[in-house]
Amino acid sequence: MADTRLRLTLLGGYLGSGKTTWLRHQLHFGAFGPRVHVVVNEAAEVPVDDALLSGADGMTLLSGGCCCCSGRGALIAALRSLCDARSRISVDAPRLERIILETSGLADPGAILQAIQADPVLVNHIVVDETIVAVDALHAMAQLTTEPLGRQQVEAADRLILTKTDACPPTALATLRASLALLNGHAAVTAATLGEAVPLPFLPADTEPALLPPLGFDDQRGPIRPTQVAIPDGLDWAAFTLWLSALLHARGDDLVRVKGVVRTPAGRLLLQTVRKVVQSPEILPDQGDARLDNRIVFIGRGYRPQDLGRSLHRFLGLPPPSPLHEGP
Amino acid sequence: MCNACGNPAAPGHWTDAGAASPGDRLRARFHRAALLNAVLKPYGLSAHDGGVVPGIQVGTLSGAQTIVQTLDDLWAEAERLAGQPIDPLDPRYLDG
Repeated sequence: MADTRLRLTLLGGYLGSGKTTWLRHQLHFGAFGPRVHVVVNEAAEVPVDDALLSGADGMTLLSGGCCCCSGRGALIAALRSLCDARSRISVDAPRLERIILETSGLADPGAILQAIQADPVLVNHIVVDETIVAVDALHAMAQLTTEPLGRQQVEAADRLILTKTDACPPTALATLRASLALLNGHAAVTAATLGEAVPLPFLPADTEPALLPPLGFDDQRGPIRPTQVAIPDGLDWAAFTLWLSALLHARGDDLVRVKGVVRTPAGRLLLQTVRKVVQSPEILPDQGDARLDNRIVFIGRGYRPQDLGRSLHRFLGLPPPSPLHEGP
Repeated sequence: MCNACGNPAAPGHWTDAGAASPGDRLRARFHRAALLNAVLKPYGLSAHDGGVVPGIQVGTLSGAQTIVQTLDDLWAEAERLAGQPIDPLDPRYLDG
């Protein structure tokens, strides 16, 4: 049976990072396909953004409260009413395909994802398929140095859009990109000025990331690093989920992201988590690039990278993995 | 919602992915409970899933019993019953 759930794209980014500008341009060119509904959240009481977005089929404005904390109830209610209206239309008829949620600049995308997953109605109707975060090339470095929120937003992203790159000196841009790769190594990075995609220059491999001072307790446990773990052939899915759920229970706050494709008897499952929240795995079509199958990337801190593979093998009752299969 | 026990039908926990038919789901539950039982044994706990009542029953050697709905709840309850943290990256687990 085809997955008929609504797709949701989360668009985040710090205050003034160019979220709306980018989104308006994408909507104008139909980058998100037909029948898109945009939900915009304004942390301030006065809505300013709603006049800008006319390329969507519908728009809901949530003002007065950031939807990852004080405005969460309003967000859930708005999403539920969208799902409700959609459910009244037959699967065969044209109906809403996608929701784009533009968060306020103060929102942590991870918290919103958690709220959607925790809601018993929304979890059956909505599948969050991408988290896009706009990064202001001019100011992001300062935000990342001083604001834990700026780092959380970058860490939660699947795709980073660098904005205002035309106004940014090339060396500063290279340092920013290296720093972003350190915080979130698996996100695809593209650039856009005034919403229009622009190519990024080649990034030399020896570019030094900026020194990011520890902010609060979390950052004192070292930088966030990606670790790739090869999944043994003929994996027992039940045993693997037991292990992963135990790992997330014990280390969920350290594991910023877990992402990978696992081959199971039921098909290729796309697995992703943000902190302790696991998104319901999607079954991927069999075609496509299968070379990255059975590899899971763990992005986190506070553990020795080689311990992940050792722990998994021990849990599955296999001999310890050879060192070749590990490392970033 | 189940009329007999009042348990709301859980919205497909992520660990159930891949088990499409009711038979597959039941088989997966039995299999998972057996694995879990072996994993929890060193902590002095046992796990049982009869396949009838929703949830997994976790018990201690002294007879304390609890039913958990998902694996997320399971580890918290197991830690409480065992009186110690359960961490797959604990050096004692890795080297023990």
